[in-house]
Amino acid sequence: MLAQETNELLTQTGPGTPMGELFRQYWIPALLAEELPENGSPPVRVKLLSERLIAFRDGEGRYGLIDEFCAHRGVSLWFGHNEETGLRCAYHGWKYDVTGQCIEVPSEPEDSIFCKKVKLTAYPLVKIGDILWTYMGDPAKRPEPPEFEFVHVPSEQTYTSKRWQESNWLQALEGGIDSSHVSWLHSAGLKNDPLFKGSKGNDYNMADLKPFFEVEEVDGGLFIGVRRNAEEGHYYWRITPWVMPSFTMVPPRGDHPMHGHLWIPIDDENCWVFTFDYQPVRALTADELQAMKDGHGVHNQNEPGTYRPVQNKDNDYMMDREAQRRGETFSGVKGIAIQDSSLQESMGPIVNRSKERLVSADSGIIKARAKLRAAAEALRDEGVTPPGVDPAHHRVRSVSIVLPKEASFIDSCREAAAVSPGVRQTSV
Amino acid sequence: MATTAAEARFRVDAPIRGQRATRVVALDESATAVMRRVAEQTWGGARFYSYEARPHSVETDAELADIVLRTMDGAEARLSEELADADAMVMIATADDGAEAASAIGNACTLRGIMTAGLILGDGREAGAAVMALRPHARVLMRSTGEHDVADVLTALRA
Ligand code: FES
Ligand SMILES: [Fe+2]
Repeated sequence: MLAQETNELLTQTGPGTPMGELFRQYWIPALLAEELPENGSPPVRVKLLSERLIAFRDGEGRYGLIDEFCAHRGVSLWFGHNEETGLRCAYHGWKYDVTGQCIEVPSEPEDSIFCKKVKLTAYPLVKIGDILWTYMGDPAKRPEPPEFEFVHVPSEQTYTSKRWQESNWLQALEGGIDSSHVSWLHSAGLKNDPLFKGSKGNDYNMADLKPFFEVEEVDGGLFIGVRRNAEEGHYYWRITPWVMPSFTMVPPRGDHPMHGHLWIPIDDENCWVFTFDYQPVRALTADELQAMKDGHGVHNQNEPGTYRPVQNKDNDYMMDREAQRRGETFSGVKGIAIQDSSLQESMGPIVNRSKERLVSADSGIIKARAKLRAAAEALRDEGVTPPGVDPAHHRVRSVSIVLPKEASFIDSCREAAAVSPGVRQTSV
Repeated sequence: MATTAAEARFRVDAPIRGQRATRVVALDESATAVMRRVAEQTWGGARFYSYEARPHSVETDAELADIVLRTMDGAEARLSEELADADAMVMIATADDGAEAASAIGNACTLRGIMTAGLILGDGREAGAAVMALRPHARVLMRSTGEHDVADVLTALRA
């Protein structure tokens, strides 16, 4: 349970809110690089942290993320002309460069200095991996760019997709932290999904449906260890890292690619789910890549030309009661990603956490909320830089491993849970 | 009908029935000090106890180990009786002094189907030993940084 005011604190991310300010300390994914595929591509409307922005790549290849609305009379620049050196408003032709600077006001005389005094809010937009990242905070405090492993391996080793989720970011994140739902909601996926099936870990997973949990704090966030019985004297551990505020990784299975998510607030009732899969030391195979593009594993299929899932709340996620009865899916909804989003959206856009009845297995969630709240308050009250801003905190991996019963998972996995270039993931 | 923002308002607005009966046991002196401060806040059905390791505080001659606890005002209480109507047990430890008690509590809770959690305060070797001592007996183990953290967990569990 959370008090209503704490729920509001954690779920509101607009400008000036404590959690909104927290998010504005980090580089966050704004859009996929594929959305601005070439110089002069059509501009893209992007809402982030309750701010409406326009992303564009000018004719010379510079990326910009600026206020969506023209300074003149508030027209959306989405209708604009993307030219060599900037975006020109469709109404009266004012032109802006990627820094938001107005560089031309056609109605004014040729040598007028008027436009120099007009500047729209703009945020940096940089391509790292397959993602265009932005930083929406104080320029003086801008941190070094992100170092998550999935955006730094060679491009043939990594794949990222994106989907719109019609719920607050926090209930989406909480799904990424809560691994106790996997043996229920996703049970069929462990058997059938091409990107999950056939690992030894799956057998441990399904053989012990009452796992034990351990939650350990680390510099950037948490490591949540879930253990199940393995062979005599051993436990099978699945270790989920959470890097604040919203990066989670799923523990790997066999030689399948490693995957995870970034849960990014669009506004208080919607979020972007950026979903990645990668191999630390080898290229993705053609089959793996095809499976991801087909929406298997943790990916999904979107309506053509959009990032809205084909299975969405308007069609009840294509619920199939027969498949549910036959045991092909636990909830009747196909695909791991939409199994999650369907349930999280069903809670309503912002779930009322004052009505929850949590159990001990929810401890990871309890601890994550406590850390978010503490970080937001420390930032607001004392200007403390939150965990996860330092790119060193990004260099984590999820782990699945069999350890002797008396071993501490956190001490045993220091190396396995850190990024070592050229070293394979630790996975069972 | 999808749970849109407008529809979410129609969620049945009644308190969740059934108070939770949480028992909180501090397994050593430092843990007791933290728990004492937390216990001063207002709680639902939670009751707080401390355990001191001394001869005969764990009775193993009976069929099932029972242990003697102390309530916050110093009265003696038997674990078996205090668990009678409990549904959650939270153990707090800073070291492994209470290992024997943790085992007795863990077994008693397993037998009665009571949910268990362990909060480990501090870091370093002592706390590492506490993790080892509690691991077999708590469904969840969590490192906690202090009073505030302990209170957060109890609040989340509606203690
Ligand atoms: S509104 Fe954009 S130029 Fe007039
Ligand atoms: Fe899930």
